[in-house]
Amino acid sequence: MFDYKTLDKYNPLLNKAYQLIDDAGKPLDAKWKPGLDKAQILKAYKDLLFERTADLMAVSYQRQGRMFTYPPNLGQEAIHIAAGMVTKEQDWLVPAFRELGAWLAKGVSLREIFLYFKGHEDGSRFQKANRMLPVSVPIASQLVHAAGLGYAINYHKEKDAAVFAYVGDGGTSEGDFHEALNFAAVWNSPVIFVVQNNQFAISVPLKMQTKSLNIAVKGIAYNVPSLLVDGNDFFAMHEALAFARQHAVSGKGPFLIEARTYRAGAHTTSDDPTKYRSKEEEEIWAEKDPLKRLKGYIKHAKLDALKDEEKLIAEFKKHIDSEFEAAEKHPEYPLEDVFAYMYKELPDELKRQKNNYENYLRGAK
Amino acid sequence: MRYIFKFPDIGEGLEEGKIIEWYVDKGSTIQSGDPLVKMETDKVVTDIPSPKSGVIAVRYGGIGDTVKVGSALVEIDIEGINAEAAQRMASEEPKKASTESVDEQGFGGVVGTIEVAGDGAYLPAGDEGISEREQPQARRKALATPVARAMAKDLGIDINQVTGTGPAGRVTKKDIQSFRPSTHAQPALKATPEGSLDRIRIEPLSQIRKTIAKNMLRSKQNTAHMSIMDEVEISELVNARARLNEILAEQSIKLTYLPFIIKAIARALKNHPVMNAELDMENERIIYKNYINLGIAMDTDDGLVVPVIRDADKKSLSELALELKDLMDRARNRKLTLDDLKDGTFSITSYGSIGGYFAVPVIAYPQVAIFGIGKISQKPVIKDNQIAVGNVMPISMSVDHRIVDGAEVSRFVNEVLSYIKEPMLLMV
Repeated sequence: MFDYKTLDKYNPLLNKAYQLIDDAGKPLDAKWKPGLDKAQILKAYKDLLFERTADLMAVSYQRQGRMFTYPPNLGQEAIHIAAGMVTKEQDWLVPAFRELGAWLAKGVSLREIFLYFKGHEDGSRFQKANRMLPVSVPIASQLVHAAGLGYAINYHKEKDAAVFAYVGDGGTSEGDFHEALNFAAVWNSPVIFVVQNNQFAISVPLKMQTKSLNIAVKGIAYNVPSLLVDGNDFFAMHEALAFARQHAVSGKGPFLIEARTYRAGAHTTSDDPTKYRSKEEEEIWAEKDPLKRLKGYIKHAKLDALKDEEKLIAEFKKHIDSEFEAAEKHPEYPLEDVFAYMYKELPDELKRQKNNYENYLRGAK
Repeated sequence: MRYIFKFPDIGEGLEEGKIIEWYVDKGSTIQSGDPLVKMETDKVVTDIPSPKSGVIAVRYGGIGDTVKVGSALVEIDIEGINAEAAQRMASEEPKKASTESVDEQGFGGVVGTIEVAGDGAYLPAGDEGISEREQPQARRKALATPVARAMAKDLGIDINQVTGTGPAGRVTKKDIQSFRPSTHAQPALKATPEGSLDRIRIEPLSQIRKTIAKNMLRSKQNTAHMSIMDEVEISELVNARARLNEILAEQSIKLTYLPFIIKAIARALKNHPVMNAELDMENERIIYKNYINLGIAMDTDDGLVVPVIRDADKKSLSELALELKDLMDRARNRKLTLDDLKDGTFSITSYGSIGGYFAVPVIAYPQVAIFGIGKISQKPVIKDNQIAVGNVMPISMSVDHRIVDGAEVSRFVNEVLSYIKEPMLLMV
């Protein structure tokens, strides 16, 4: 299992990613055994398959004109499923926007997610998900909130509670990332910063984004324990996240994980990655696909693989369709809603805009 | 039941897209989620999947056509749904669909209701930056109860024209009763002097005409056109051409003057790279192109098309002649593909082949120059201090004065005309 000795061995300055299984799913160390039982591993596989199916269907709905926009998760799911298994009910989930599996594990419904990307305010009104912040569109601003939530956990002397805060590689070039890391470290905030380094800030490749050796090294200056992990290795992600959470809830403060992965899809449905990267590069990463690797492990470890995957996917699709249709039948929201939830009292400029809108409805010129 | 699928805004504020490839034909069976068509937009090239399962009843637009967001792409006959279910679906989704009466023409005599994707079923381009005053009155959707809507319909009043006085601007029954259609709200066509439509004829613009109109306006609005005109005596070219045609007759190749002019221009462009460039104002730079792709304006029954001869500088006279003939044939038979039309770096128009001496050609923006050839005719010329009969070719050239100065145009024209006057120079 992962311990502080392992953490030392993977000092970010060595630029070596923590990894347990190879591209085919075979353990790198023949003696290694996962800390999860068979049922947990199979459930993780099913959850990963579900996330992927829902994600691909979401892109299709968007292309049919039934949803405004959507950021695909394809290729990054191992991070989300591992995080979903580690995150507890009392933990906070502070999303960026590309963590579908982690949201589902927290109790967010697909219907809510679809509503959000259809532009509906109710998409952020989570019925079941406890301690989940809405999507943060400005890059990295959510990390400052996460540091504050961690501060609040300490202030209220809550036991066994942590904050999982997500950001992409591009977000680590924002000031908010550094402020949040510093604040969390100074105040011992129990925050696990998960950087999904998917190699691209929209179209900007990582090497144009930063001169740092990797992203994990950015934690060193703030004295935040930091670890570079193979983000497409479900087991490595699970061990690292479980360790990071244990570190945080035992009063030792924040932890930074750089999950090295690859966004196999577009940044959002308004983006065309063929314009800025090569097929060859995509093929190299396709070999490291997290679903393929987990499946490879299941086969290698001779766990009973899923009996009829096609049938399972068909069931998933039916369920996903019904969630989408439910989102389509959701009552339309009054446009006043766009003014309703951000401020307790509307600032003057928004008051003016709301007033203009009401006049418009009345048919005034 | 029939479902009309409209091209959705898939890119947060798109206005239109271009059809790259169709995956279905009329009569194809399709499952929801299967790809219908590949579209190119400002942002992405992507497949558009079908939202419904069924059979394609009508397909709109051919490859290369531009489709506006909100225009129909296909009509799908939805299978496995009986009339009752269709009725139920229609009533379940009142905001997503409306039943409209549709002209039977072009629909193969459909019986029954046609479900048209309503405004709610596709995502319109964003209205950001458009002030309210600019929004056409008619586009505003009135708030009203079903009772009020039915009443307006019975009275033949467009409820969207009625100003509502109820809560949140809702149109009440009283508003409808007191509504008097204003003259401003009448369609403009009724205001023709004679007050009737039989003195004019209205035709929708064809796709090609829309493209031409857009391109011409874009050119004139985005460049600083300047033109230069000149004449050249081409007796030597006349002789050279005649001699070459005797030789090439065996290969059934017939040279027009155009291949010679293409060669002359391609040669001169190498010495005047700014004529083969593009101005990138946004980034304040000039993009020079190290390849010479000449667009050749061609007249077809449908309108002007400008297919491109790639790497024109690397082709022989006979290769150029064959390629021109092929492009012309395909232009007339509407067989040109997108690839034939794109990536031009400079254009040539031989308007004189139909008629006209001088002209002011319009640049194919974002190119920077266009060379026009007028009607070649016999004219008196001065030769060795004597009046003689000469073969005179007039030329007219337009450039974008933002990046090409007058002196540079004159030098360019001088060089081109020197080759035309003495084709032997092309061999040096």
